Amino acid sequence: MDWLEAELKRALARKDPEPGFGARLSARSRGGRPGTFSRRWLAAAASVLVLAGSGAAYRHYEGVRAKDKVMLAVRLAGGKLNQVQNRVLGVAK
Amino acid sequence: MNILVKLLLYTGAVPLAAQQIQFNLDHLAAKAAETVDVSLSGATLQFAAKFLEGKDPEEAQVKKLLEGITGIYVKSYEFKTDGAWTPADLDRVRNQLRAPQWARIVDITSTGDRETTQVYVRSENQKMTGLAILVAEPKELTVVNIVGNVDLNSLADLGGHFGIPKVETPSQKK
Repeated sequence: MDWLEAELKRALARKDPEPGFGARLSARSRGGRPGTFSRRWLAAAASVLVLAGSGAAYRHYEGVRAKDKVMLAVRLAGGKLNQVQNRVLGVAK
Repeated sequence: MNILVKLLLYTGAVPLAAQQIQFNLDHLAAKAAETVDVSLSGATLQFAAKFLEGKDPEEAQVKKLLEGITGIYVKSYEFKTDGAWTPADLDRVRNQLRAPQWARIVDITSTGDRETTQVYVRSENQKMTGLAILVAEPKELTVVNIVGNVDLNSLADLGGHFGIPKVETPSQKK
């Protein structure tokens, strides 16, 4: 088992970071590479716009569907009532 | 609490005005060659009214008509053969249209042709609150319930606009 212990010791041995690691880390925590932050916000804003647009389009589609149903119902009811008027007048003649 | 009620009304979870008569005609759908089933409650009607354009004369007239209406319910079946519906089907609907709330204003029955046309009006405190139209022909059965204050002349007038020749009443001929 000595070889295993030796491998583990080597793998888990303390290593100093490469030079400049601290500077790179603090730069990233401040906002990373220039432009990354605004690009993220742009993507988020675009997603919100797409979602809002889809919502509005769906609402419009539902509205047109409801309107078509109303027109069909009124057409049918009005047609029947007109038919009734026709028959009443026919009986009256 | 008030907000919750408003939200429920807006989302359609609570109908603003319920259907005044139960049609109980769903069993006829299987026999029908063509079925029209429209069920529009107050919230849907208000929503649909926003999409009716004032520029179109017919749509403008429908929009005006909807002002007093809080529900439209239509069931219409067309059959290929006679005898698909029975008088009992019609009676189940007719039995709900009773006085004092409902009053029959038109009743045309043609025994030979097996045709029945009836129009009922519902009123509360001398104010019209509903309309029911029953049209039964050998190969057709139509039941309509409109909830609210319906302008009958406007509705019939719209019937004349949609490809059906408009019938002129004697007063209109003048």
